[in-house]
Amino acid sequence: MEQTVTQPQADRPSQIALVDLLDRLLGTGVVLAGDIVISLSGVDLVQIRLQALISTIRSDMVEPR
Amino acid sequence: MSESGRYLYAVTRGLEPQQLAGTPGLDGGHLDVVEHLDLCAVVSDVALDEYGEEGLRRNLEHLDWLERVARTHDSVVHAVASVGPTAPLRLATVYLDDEGVRRGLAERCAELDRVLGQVAGRLEWSVKVLAPATPVVSTAERGMSGAEYLRRKKASAEDKEINDALLMDLADKVYEALADGTVASRRLQPQDQRLTGLAGTMLLNAAYLVQDDDGPAFQSHVKSLQAEHHEVSIECQGPWPPYSFAVLEQ
Repeated sequence: MEQTVTQPQADRPSQIALVDLLDRLLGTGVVLAGDIVISLSGVDLVQIRLQALISTIRSDMVEPR
Repeated sequence: MSESGRYLYAVTRGLEPQQLAGTPGLDGGHLDVVEHLDLCAVVSDVALDEYGEEGLRRNLEHLDWLERVARTHDSVVHAVASVGPTAPLRLATVYLDDEGVRRGLAERCAELDRVLGQVAGRLEWSVKVLAPATPVVSTAERGMSGAEYLRRKKASAEDKEINDALLMDLADKVYEALADGTVASRRLQPQDQRLTGLAGTMLLNAAYLVQDDDGPAFQSHVKSLQAEHHEVSIECQGPWPPYSFAVLEQ
């Protein structure tokens, strides 16, 4: 197969993409039980970020209601 | 006036507050250091009507808010990581006061110490393997009979299945090959195409913990794997603070 995915390669500015940042800030990292307890279990987080991100992407693609 | 809480960004060791001068916290808040034994927690004041339980529940649904908090959190983590070993906290860890922060540190003191030892002098690199976008099967070749079209379509679906399996296998091999010479590695969930905006399916979303000095060698290892395997795209980014490797055992 000759075809390759066209996309920018490394050497781009080191600003981390939001989706990568949220992967890490919501999915990994040190978890301490803060005084403010909010249920951020794995499933919730995936839903939060998917809902938040996809709804934004969609709103870019369709006419606002 | 709203009450305030303490937002915790990261835990480190041996940090002087003035080393963070010039880096603002959330909403421009001043960064402070709360200590317990030799652990240093980097915190700033946040308004509880925005970062309390109700506020967080509401705000986490808003991408603008989420992005602003995530970017600020990240910039503080970068500032801390430029000074010493850093264990980044998960987003939105909030205590009512410094006493609460100290209690949080004390509860996981030994584990935090172990994590800081693990990430000291090391950075995180991200490697993603992407399949090419699926080629469009031509549905209207001149003079093709219906039976011939169906036969080709079936053959093409079978080819795709075999091809997908080969690409997954290749992604596994890339993951393993790159792990060699790194301190630790882990696979994160491949990202949804709708979020990445990339054309191809993500086969691998991996993170590697690499010694500071080994970064260039790691990058050239990625490049040589890409040169060997044109059938996929291998994307390498970093270095980042060790987000994926600062994990406490539950």
